[in-house]
Amino acid sequence: MARVAREMVERSGVNVDQLLELLVKNAAAELTTFYYYTILRVNLIGLEGEGIKEIAETARIEDRNHFEALVPRIYELGGKLPDDMKVFHDMSACPPASLPKKADDVQAVLKVLVEAERCAVRGYTQICNMTAGKDHRTYDLALAILNEEIEHESWFSEFLGEGPSGHFLRRGETSPFVSKFMK
Amino acid sequence: MDQKQLTRQQLLKFDGREGRPAYVAYKGKVYDVTGSFLWMGGRHQALHRAGEDLTDVLDTAPHGEDLLERVPLIGMLIP
Repeated sequence: MARVAREMVERSGVNVDQLLELLVKNAAAELTTFYYYTILRVNLIGLEGEGIKEIAETARIEDRNHFEALVPRIYELGGKLPDDMKVFHDMSACPPASLPKKADDVQAVLKVLVEAERCAVRGYTQICNMTAGKDHRTYDLALAILNEEIEHESWFSEFLGEGPSGHFLRRGETSPFVSKFMK
Repeated sequence: MDQKQLTRQQLLKFDGREGRPAYVAYKGKVYDVTGSFLWMGGRHQALHRAGEDLTDVLDTAPHGEDLLERVPLIGMLIP
């Protein structure tokens, strides 16, 4: 644990235990989403599905990166991941992004994807709101993740025809915002 | 289905713990969040507990009341 780092956050008025629970829950959401997106991606087949597969893969990899980036901050603040993976799954901040019953229904898969991203956008907005001007490091991390989650939401929302967002698929490396926390 | 009528005191008992149902109130309406993944164990995002009236706190949440429309409305909160 980074004792003084935690102390500074406590002194700023943030409830660190509450923040840690949120960070762990969101880390669980990221890792479980990585798992569920693997299944969604595998099932994105056919003319319609193949067009979405690459962008779903980018979101999948970036969600795993978010998990990797969150873990050090959890331990710095004196938190930990649960010993039991089943407990970790069930405490996720977002519901499982499960494969729809009709696995070849690309619209249904897209709705699962966009709902998962929207849940993440809400979660990191909450963490940013809690930490803004108080816990600078967690805020910086949550904001970086939020930037990527908003892009993910935009991609899937556009595929669903909800309207333009001005974003485009990644060119170059994944996680342009979060990669600085992974070096 | 008959709508329940609950006082704040009665609502407190539906806290989602130890197998009890999880209810929350919002603007005088009572919602059953027992089946919601996001309210497992009667807690929501480390910040809220079932059995509470969320009317004053939803404004600070990163979502609107539209998400409550996804869970069953089961009754009214009475004085």
